[in-house]
Amino acid sequence: MERPSARGADVVTSVVAEGLKVAAPRAPRQHGWWRRNWVSLAFIAPGIIWLLAIVVYPTIATIRFSLYNESATKFVGLHNFASVFSTDTILTAFKNNVVWVLIFPFFVTFIGLMVAVLTERIRWATAFKAIIVMPIVFSTTASALVWRTIFDLDPHVGVVNAIEQTVSDWFSTPGAYPLNSAIGQTAVSLASFNATGATGGTLLSKSAVQPGGTVMMGLTRISSTTLQTLGAKTPVAPQTIAGGIAGLVWNDFSPSQTSNTTTIVSDEHGLPNLRLSLVNSTGSSVASTVTNSSGDFSFSHVAPGSYHVEIQASNFQTSFVGTFWLGSQSITPTSGLNQTAQSLLSVPLIDLAMIISYIWIWAGFAMVLIGAGLAALNREVLEAAEIDGATEWQTLRRVTIPMLAPVLTVVFVTMVINVLKVFDIILNMAPGSSQGPATTLALSIYNDGFTGGIHSGVASAIAVILFLLVVPVMYWNLRKIKGGSP
Amino acid sequence: MSSVALRELTKQYAGNAALSLDSVDLEVAHGEFVCLVGPSGCGKTTALRMIAGLESVTSGDIEIGDRVVNDLSPRDRDIALVFQSYALYPHMTVFDNMSFGLKLRKVPKDEIKAAVTDAARILDLELYLDRKPAQLSGGQRQRVALGRAIVRNPAAFLMDEPLSNLDAKLRVQTRAEIARLHHRLGATMIYVTHDQVEAMTMADRIAVINLGKLEQVGSPRELYDRPANQFVAGFIGSPSMNFVPMHVESIDGGIRVVSAGGDMDVILDDVDSAMIRSTGVSDVVLGIRPEHIDTQARTGRGLQLRASVDVIEFLGNDEHVHLSSGSHELVAIVDARTPLTIGDSLTLSASSEAIHLFHSETGVALK
Amino acid sequence: MTIDAPVKESRVGGLAKRLHLSKSVVNVILALVAIFWLVPTISLLVISLRPESLFGVSGWWKVFTDPSQLTFGNYSTIFSQGFATGGVLDSLVTSLEITIPATLLVTGISSLAAYSLVFGSWRGRDWIFFGIVGLMVVPLQVALIPVVQLYREMGNLFGLNPYGTIPGVIIFHVAFGLPFGIFLMRNFLTGIPKDLLEAGRIEGAGEWKIFYRIVLPLALPAIASLAIFQFIWVWNDLLVALVFLGGNVHSPLTIFLYDQTRSLAANYWIVSTGAVVSIFVPLIVFFSFQRYFVRGVLAGAVK
Repeated sequence: MERPSARGADVVTSVVAEGLKVAAPRAPRQHGWWRRNWVSLAFIAPGIIWLLAIVVYPTIATIRFSLYNESATKFVGLHNFASVFSTDTILTAFKNNVVWVLIFPFFVTFIGLMVAVLTERIRWATAFKAIIVMPIVFSTTASALVWRTIFDLDPHVGVVNAIEQTVSDWFSTPGAYPLNSAIGQTAVSLASFNATGATGGTLLSKSAVQPGGTVMMGLTRISSTTLQTLGAKTPVAPQTIAGGIAGLVWNDFSPSQTSNTTTIVSDEHGLPNLRLSLVNSTGSSVASTVTNSSGDFSFSHVAPGSYHVEIQASNFQTSFVGTFWLGSQSITPTSGLNQTAQSLLSVPLIDLAMIISYIWIWAGFAMVLIGAGLAALNREVLEAAEIDGATEWQTLRRVTIPMLAPVLTVVFVTMVINVLKVFDIILNMAPGSSQGPATTLALSIYNDGFTGGIHSGVASAIAVILFLLVVPVMYWNLRKIKGGSP
Repeated sequence: MSSVALRELTKQYAGNAALSLDSVDLEVAHGEFVCLVGPSGCGKTTALRMIAGLESVTSGDIEIGDRVVNDLSPRDRDIALVFQSYALYPHMTVFDNMSFGLKLRKVPKDEIKAAVTDAARILDLELYLDRKPAQLSGGQRQRVALGRAIVRNPAAFLMDEPLSNLDAKLRVQTRAEIARLHHRLGATMIYVTHDQVEAMTMADRIAVINLGKLEQVGSPRELYDRPANQFVAGFIGSPSMNFVPMHVESIDGGIRVVSAGGDMDVILDDVDSAMIRSTGVSDVVLGIRPEHIDTQARTGRGLQLRASVDVIEFLGNDEHVHLSSGSHELVAIVDARTPLTIGDSLTLSASSEAIHLFHSETGVALK
Repeated sequence: MTIDAPVKESRVGGLAKRLHLSKSVVNVILALVAIFWLVPTISLLVISLRPESLFGVSGWWKVFTDPSQLTFGNYSTIFSQGFATGGVLDSLVTSLEITIPATLLVTGISSLAAYSLVFGSWRGRDWIFFGIVGLMVVPLQVALIPVVQLYREMGNLFGLNPYGTIPGVIIFHVAFGLPFGIFLMRNFLTGIPKDLLEAGRIEGAGEWKIFYRIVLPLALPAIASLAIFQFIWVWNDLLVALVFLGGNVHSPLTIFLYDQTRSLAANYWIVSTGAVVSIFVPLIVFFSFQRYFVRGVLAGAVK
């Protein structure tokens, strides 16, 4: 008879042996995989960890922050989002982003296209492209500063206003005594003694005069700065001239005898550099002259007749008022509307100025991408169009551009994404007073979240909104690019 | 439909010393189908593009109808060009591709529709009018390219190797279709190809071009029977003509042309002998087409050659036999039933009429 | 090869000749465009070369009629300041301290990650790659606030709070440079035949050696494109620097310039010279590596 324990031991041993046979081969296989791949995994680990920590986790955290209050202690649901849509400053930011998206991508793509097409035909294409592309390399901050100078209100600083002034002066040279249109001054308001308003903004002497006679006309409200600049002297009573007409135009305001508006007082000043015309009885001008530094003038060899002296309107021509490109006055007529409506509908002029500068920066990008697309086009299709009878404009419009549609779309959409995040240029180009009206979403995040300490609620809500706006567009663009590239 | 003429047409590209086209003269009659053939780079496509107006003329004239069109832009020349790569407008439907030219010329809509549907019917494209090129097969795209040309009803059709992108079977099919089209439309067609089979089967006349020079113009039969020089003789016909350098000897009563080892000799008749003697040449190149060599015994005039068999290619009805005759290698096409094995030595012959003789230096045909 | 993409020579010439808009008209139009494009940069340069006293009195364009106005005075002032804190040169150095490490880290980590994605044999590589590429869409504004907080946590846990330090800025920039960097490097590396690596393995080289000695040298064009793109991007950044380095005593050039515009006095002499200095560095990078830059732009349409 067998001993039960011995048999039991056999069974156990055999079972264990079977078990070991199954277990043993598995362990080396797993161990080998790890050994083979640990270096590879170690290579990618830093990247993955970095991304998880600084990109993935924070994105999720921001979503969480947007649902909590400013100090992140209490859950407030969609409260932050509600306040986003009811705060005027943030609505202004939305509006500005809309303005940017509506104007910038179209024009930058259009200009990039035109330039890319034209550049194909010149020899110096490489140099040209380098010039246009260069601004991308400058920081938006530096570019913003440059363009801020260019758009400066002062014609001695800003090129644009300098050009405007030149053009404006060419059409209407400012007079020596410009009216202040801001306070509604007219020529008539300057009349004091023996002067009356006439057609075309001129002043006419009330009294008529004949050769051998004299005329005196007095004006007021002339600023002392003007008098000083023009070198005005004490007025001298006019002497008669045989066969001629002499006279005086003076500033009829005496600080010592304010009520005296008819005679010359010693502390008054003559008005120099006034352009005068001698007007005869039929109303036509027969002679002209200019007053000297004491305000005196004379017309010689005057034919017999009755005349009036006219102070020409050009003397009062307002001086050049520049365009405040960097300002917030609205292009759209919204002055009568309430605050919220204004936030949503007014388009500050500075937006245009900034968009122009941004086009200067990014047109090169559009040009390079479109140029590459253009070079990749099948030339024979364009030749076929020519043989079919198309002029080159027709070929461009009906064949080339449709064939470029994929590239044009990628450029356009990339610029839309770019502009949704626009930040640097506003911060640096808009003067303090325009910062509010010109703000955008990205800027709001910074202002709300980081100025005066860190507030996470509303700023995170704006960030989430920005994220929701940008992500689908970028995703779509990515697929287009990956689909198209080899 | 118009005639097309090239008069001393020359093209030189800036920076190239060589001429891409050297004083080519060609007249294509109204309604004629002319093929420009030649090896790659010979200038045939250049010539075609110059006729189209896509390349400028260095010197010479191009006439379409009676007008000299050198200075006219392509759109004013009333020609249509079928590109090798078809060059269809990728963003337009088949219908729009074909109607584009007419639309540009402000042809009324119903006329356009009629013209396009007509062409579509001829080319069997009616079902595809709404598709875009990307959705079509190569053969269909080629037909759209043809359709685009037909719809324009041009003075001349220009075609740049339209079949080269098609597979062999489709090529044969389309070849016949183009030939049919030509008869149906009675159109003047100028067709460029490097494939001499296409030229031979489709053309009324063939112009052979080599290195910018026009070697010969003539009907397929003329080019086959009476090639003007060695180049044309070797270019036309497949498998190509055999060439063997030979030496001229005088024998009593005539001229004998012998190969170096003496394994091949030709006895010329009196007329030919007199002609050869008058030229005074002593070295010639013999040209004999494979299909003209046979195992028949011939005496007297004609070619006799003693050769051994190297390779036999069985082709069903025929055999292509690769022979060695002395130090020369030739191909002969014989009936497949001829009993031959590799290594056999045999005597072959060819008749006097089938023999061509070329000047050994200039390559000009002597006989 | 330079900025132009390759074009068949004879075809372009032919096209130009046939087209109606005469070449001279095109040349004139483009010359005007080029001049318009150069004016802003030239104006900056000129302003920086004119004495402060002339600013606001006469326009910078007057130098063309009166070249004697040009002077290096402003520049000598900056240089005489040396590396004093708050000066232009100090900011220049700070910008370099941020940009160079960020660029090196991004190129390095991207290359390693891309190598793993292309030549590794672990499962899930494609998914991870798609995930990383997907991260390219995340705008960095979204991560600012949480990362500031994260830094604070690190300060609490490890005693090292990167907020307000240069490493803090670098860490953020590297993170947001990685998706694009990995995308670019991975796409390039797929073009390297695996046989080369096999040959190396047979010779007995370990993965690191293969990466360092075989793959990296071959990948230089892509690395150059990435480096240039990354360099210019970080050099010109304002927002990240403002957030993470806002009150710091040393600021990069972008913050330096921004501060100048905030101050009430219009110190245009220092603004313009600072701007010129800040432009100068990327310009050199740009001109030296033109062709790589364009390649990067073409690949970087996403950024």
